Amino acid sequence: MSDATPSAAASMPGGVDRSLVRTGRGISSDSVMAGLSQLAALTIFVMLFALLAVLTYAAWPSISTFGWKFLFTSQWRPNELSAPALDASGKVVMEDGEVVMRTLPPVFGALPVIYGTAVSSLLALVFGAALFLVRLSRPWLAVPVSFLIEFLAAIPSIAYGMWGLFVLAPFLQHYIEPTIRSGLSWIPGMNAWLFTETAVRAGQTVVRTLPLTGRDMFCGGLVLAIMIIPIITALSRDVLRSVPRAQVEGTLALGATWWQSAWEMLSYSRSALFGAVMLGLARAAGETMAITMVIGNSNQIHASIFSPAQTMSSLLANEFAEASTELHHAALSEVALILLLMSLLFNIVARKLVVGSDVHPSAAH
Amino acid sequence: LIFLVHGMSTSSEQPVQPQRSFYRRFMAIKSNVMMSLCVFATICILALLAFVTLYLLYNGFNYLSWSIFTELPIPPGMAGAPGGLKNSLIGTVILIGMASVVGIPVGVLAGIYLSEYSTGSWLGAPARFIADVLTGVPSIVVGIVGYELVVVPMGNFNGYAGAFALAFIMIPLVARTTEEMLRLVPRSYREASIALGATKNRTILHVVLPAATGSIITGVMLAIARIAGETAPLLFTALGSRLLTLDPSHPFPSLTVQVFSYATGPYKDEQNLAWAGMLILISLVFVLNLALRLTAHHLQRNGPTRA
Repeated sequence: MSDATPSAAASMPGGVDRSLVRTGRGISSDSVMAGLSQLAALTIFVMLFALLAVLTYAAWPSISTFGWKFLFTSQWRPNELSAPALDASGKVVMEDGEVVMRTLPPVFGALPVIYGTAVSSLLALVFGAALFLVRLSRPWLAVPVSFLIEFLAAIPSIAYGMWGLFVLAPFLQHYIEPTIRSGLSWIPGMNAWLFTETAVRAGQTVVRTLPLTGRDMFCGGLVLAIMIIPIITALSRDVLRSVPRAQVEGTLALGATWWQSAWEMLSYSRSALFGAVMLGLARAAGETMAITMVIGNSNQIHASIFSPAQTMSSLLANEFAEASTELHHAALSEVALILLLMSLLFNIVARKLVVGSDVHPSAAH
Repeated sequence: LIFLVHGMSTSSEQPVQPQRSFYRRFMAIKSNVMMSLCVFATICILALLAFVTLYLLYNGFNYLSWSIFTELPIPPGMAGAPGGLKNSLIGTVILIGMASVVGIPVGVLAGIYLSEYSTGSWLGAPARFIADVLTGVPSIVVGIVGYELVVVPMGNFNGYAGAFALAFIMIPLVARTTEEMLRLVPRSYREASIALGATKNRTILHVVLPAATGSIITGVMLAIARIAGETAPLLFTALGSRLLTLDPSHPFPSLTVQVFSYATGPYKDEQNLAWAGMLILISLVFVLNLALRLTAHHLQRNGPTRA
């Protein structure tokens, strides 16, 4: 009888283990244990609250200064700037033969980084989704392949960043991007859109050929895609594994081909699959190190995906430790707050969808 | 035991029946085409990922040497540069240690609550959900919280802030793994213990936890592997340092930040050092993943065991 409790069996030469008997002390330690563990569970709530509260507090100077404008303006100027003062007709004001200068206050707007985050994650998704059907077929290799994929999902992002920086970016710069340029040059407007940039120099607008660096939005999107493929794959595998067997057997009994039956599985779990893809998207949007290393870090919106860009996370990684003014810190904190809210939203929606299908998305870190 | 529902059905379907109608033949062809596409996609992805991993491994092994573990970084231009990564290896170990001291007890207790106490409580489901959501919060955001809560009050970048941020990332991970591992312990264990007159407390501490100890430890190791690879939350908490320091109230070195600054820096020999540091990190992740997988297999096949 006592064998049913393996831990007790060891310490029980004969008779009943005293430690298992309810004693007066046991009741109080019972409530201590319950209290402690409840406290630990409450910590999780506190953590979420702390995230939101701390960031809102830190971002407050920026929120109160810029308001909603922060989300829709694209200037990012942490320092005061002196510029020639212009009169009403747009001419430089001269006084005693010298140009009159005026001081522009620091301005912060998050639009470029929001744009950068959105485009790079969507690029990742486009590249990733094209290959996402993977898990449908793996009869023989299932175990090693799923181990490999989980392992890849666990590799630190800085590793992907290094690979992107030293291998992918030079490769894109020297081979892929020139090939794309010459391959697309026959399409009217394509060259102007993808491979030129417009710069304002001394009041004049200059259109010039975009220098291809390989460290740009395109490369960032590719690296993110490579990073989220294992995650999406591992998750959607879990999702598809939870499709009831009867469902699959039913389609086969009706004479469905492999693809028809697979399609049935896909549509059975489509909302959970959508959730899996969203989790991948959330991961891509919050990704920091890899993207910082390959995206080129330029705080401007460029029409071309072959120009350097900046995401919210890479902006934080680049500037937060060096921000000197209160407003700069606050603006960066507000960027972090936006990033947090966005990832919370994505995660909540995605997990509702995935959990709805009874799968624990343990593979998504 | 991983088996794919579909992998099973494929084999039973393989012999395509003699087709009569055009439609059936079309569907069969379409099916085969789609299947080959799927196989092709699998191969593509695996090849790509294998290339990435092998490249990292190849470079890492190329530049790995014993001095990495025994020497401190030497500034470029001086004799013996670039030196090694001793300070950041020690720093990472200390950071992980400090994060674990807080993160593991809280995480395991929260996991115990979720698995053993949460039934019928308002706290259970939301806590589980929030823990899941917290695992998805971008780690750089956690770094900023560490900055505001620890660095700002203490007045300088320091190791405690780094450990705080890492513990923050660790707690939800450990909580969810612990919960899942405890749920694998059969109900009958708990019933037997209660039937013998044990209190709930005794049941958890002496029956349920010991049965799952091995797998909880592996889960914890996996969380450790995760935080060992984190760079973003350390950038503005621990900041990194090229000195060997054991005092966490100063800027503190860590492997990942060191690798990051070497990799993005201009010096070739420091970049090589970064490759080697990366290899150390990846090997750690690989070993811990393998351990988790093996215990999970063991658990599913043989039921829970003591560690």
